[in-house]
Amino acid sequence: MRFDFTPEESDFRRKLSAFLDGALPADWHGPADESRDDHWALNQQIKKGLADRGWFVMSWPTEYGGADSSPMMNTIFAEEMAYRRAPGHDRFGTRMLGPTLMRFGSDSQRAEHLGAIARGEVQWCQGYSEPNSGSDLASLQTRAVLDGDNFIVNGAKIWTSLAHRADMMFMLVRTDPDAAPHKGISLLLVDMKTPGIQVLPIINMAGVHSFNQVVFDDVRVPQANLVGDLNDGWRVGMTVLNFERSGIDYAVWARAALEELVDYVKNDDSLVSTVKTNPEVRGKLASLNTEIEAARLLCYDVAWRQGQGEVPSAEASISKVAGTEIYAKVLDYGTELLGMYGALEPGSEQAELQGNFLKMRLFATSGPILAGTNEIQKNIIAQRGLNLPRAPRR
Amino acid sequence: MDFGLTQTQKLIRTSAREFLADRSGPATVRAVADGDTEVAANLWMDVVELGWPALTVSEQHGGAGLSFSDLAVLLEELGATLAPVPIAESAITARILERFGQDALKAELLPQIADGDVLITPAIVGRDASWDAHNTGTVANRTGSGLVITGEARFVSFANQATHALTLVNTDDDQFAMVVVPIWKSPGVEQIPLNHASGTPVYSLTFNEVEAPTSNIVATGTEAVAAAAELVATGSVARATQLAGLARAVVDSTVEYTAGRQQFGRPVGSFQAVQHHLAEMAIAAKQVNHLAHAAAWSFSQDGYSVDRAARAKIAASEKIADLCWTAHQCHGAIGFTWEHNLHLYTRRALAWKTDFGDAAFHKAILASAMGL
Repeated sequence: MRFDFTPEESDFRRKLSAFLDGALPADWHGPADESRDDHWALNQQIKKGLADRGWFVMSWPTEYGGADSSPMMNTIFAEEMAYRRAPGHDRFGTRMLGPTLMRFGSDSQRAEHLGAIARGEVQWCQGYSEPNSGSDLASLQTRAVLDGDNFIVNGAKIWTSLAHRADMMFMLVRTDPDAAPHKGISLLLVDMKTPGIQVLPIINMAGVHSFNQVVFDDVRVPQANLVGDLNDGWRVGMTVLNFERSGIDYAVWARAALEELVDYVKNDDSLVSTVKTNPEVRGKLASLNTEIEAARLLCYDVAWRQGQGEVPSAEASISKVAGTEIYAKVLDYGTELLGMYGALEPGSEQAELQGNFLKMRLFATSGPILAGTNEIQKNIIAQRGLNLPRAPRR
Repeated sequence: MDFGLTQTQKLIRTSAREFLADRSGPATVRAVADGDTEVAANLWMDVVELGWPALTVSEQHGGAGLSFSDLAVLLEELGATLAPVPIAESAITARILERFGQDALKAELLPQIADGDVLITPAIVGRDASWDAHNTGTVANRTGSGLVITGEARFVSFANQATHALTLVNTDDDQFAMVVVPIWKSPGVEQIPLNHASGTPVYSLTFNEVEAPTSNIVATGTEAVAAAAELVATGSVARATQLAGLARAVVDSTVEYTAGRQQFGRPVGSFQAVQHHLAEMAIAAKQVNHLAHAAAWSFSQDGYSVDRAARAKIAASEKIADLCWTAHQCHGAIGFTWEHNLHLYTRRALAWKTDFGDAAFHKAILASAMGL
């Protein structure tokens, strides 16, 4: 056992951090609100900078322009980006679709899309959830019917992050309504400019336009855009989710938020500085520090196992639950510690810490819900990690 | 980062599992918990034979020179089987001797510790049960040849098996001294057995003009306080690691029980309510495990990470007893019986929440380390 980083890993962390020093505005706080044009421009700029330095798809094999970097390096990349709350870490293209195309895509699909993703030129979004299919994803109903060389797609996707900025979507559609739920699904690549696609903004409870409903009305998608075999989309599409389920972002956001809070409390000029001698407050901050470190170690464990060639499914779920829970807890406590100021919205007169703790707390509500609710993750932990028997299927 | 075991660590784990499965089963654990000192003494003799007390003693002093991280692998297994042996006690006091002791004292005691002829147990808690490094329940008068110690040390683990106690005393020149006090059949030492929920032998010691030679003084003044603080930190990480092993065992046995127990025509472990209890237990067990091993890894010749040590015991104290209570809920009525072994784990977890400092104690340390 070792609990430190290799010189190569520390060196990479330093280089990435130095790049971000230059790339982010001096007063950058984040997280980015990609519906704002200036933040979106920054997103594009950082993506480009990361691509230029060979970091954007460093996790990919060298034959596709990557550096075949270790899962631990990829975790460090995610960590540094999240610690600065920097935009430009595009998981949809680099972490989800890219590896899926490498495994299941046709030669022409790889040729068309992988290079564009690697150069940071194209924004992808993920069309999985539907208004009536959340945790029970296999019940999805968006239909795709083959008509000559095209699929005709009808239905609706929802909670689609960045659909309003995306060039392309990878989506799950039902291609055989008579088969069992998992058997009649296919994965399609769709150009967001295709006629019949309507992107309807959804404003989240933090007041930010981050996700959307996407409606499909007789949208024609070339048959060549089918990834893998027809009706094999469940298997193909689940590869994506293995990359989606990690708690590292949340664990690091929690660390950044706690550091910000501790610095604020320590500062004698802060309006709540008197609380720093209160043993209960000190104890609570130490407890949060402990939980954050635990969540971080769980993420490193996942990366280490991946590096050993394992597919750590239950461990990934554990890290997701731990990360999302501690992030919400830190922000809960932050708003509490700020006292009456904790209730001031960003932009309000007399707001402390820019009202960001309130905004981040509201945002953090989504953590335990998205990418598989924490209840679903606990099912995975129990069934795949502990080998407990599954409930009888309906 | 490497969460895997080295070859040495694998060997430690395998041999520990084999030995403990054979020699430290529930019957042994129960006998020792019931106060059978002979069973405990025999088990310790076998452990000495295996060379476990020598593992972390430096090679220079006749030990195997392994790291505290290697020891943690063994401690985890001791925790998982509730093995009532003073390996943690022996290893942490030996480490304090190595770090703070004079060469002559080290040369005298460490080889004997490695051989199992000497067992030193920490005795630094007074009547107020505080683990504060400045706290002591004993005073000592300096004489020409050493210290004459009077007072009380409470909650001393394995005092009946130990030859010496490592104690912080307040000397008559108003200084602190950390001293190795002979307690085995020592005139003036009275041992009061406590009935401790850990199921391990725990005693209170009273010292009535007990003599310790000058050469037994490990450190004085602020150095003695630093040594006491490090003793507590080292002990807290050892306990956290044992508790991590305990948690793993409780998760495993609860999985086994709920997967087998049938109700409504299906295993109770297939119900989501039960699965979520177990998932949360598994998360807590892994968190404590990682924090404990990360802390143990930080112990080197030069010291240790104060933050990591504090985090390990904060998490262990806060999570593991709770994990046990949840395990009882998952077991239903059978887990409420005296006959079932689960309460042995729960008692141990409850008892060790406070051993070497409770969560609040270590949070205060971590808060200071955070600059608060």
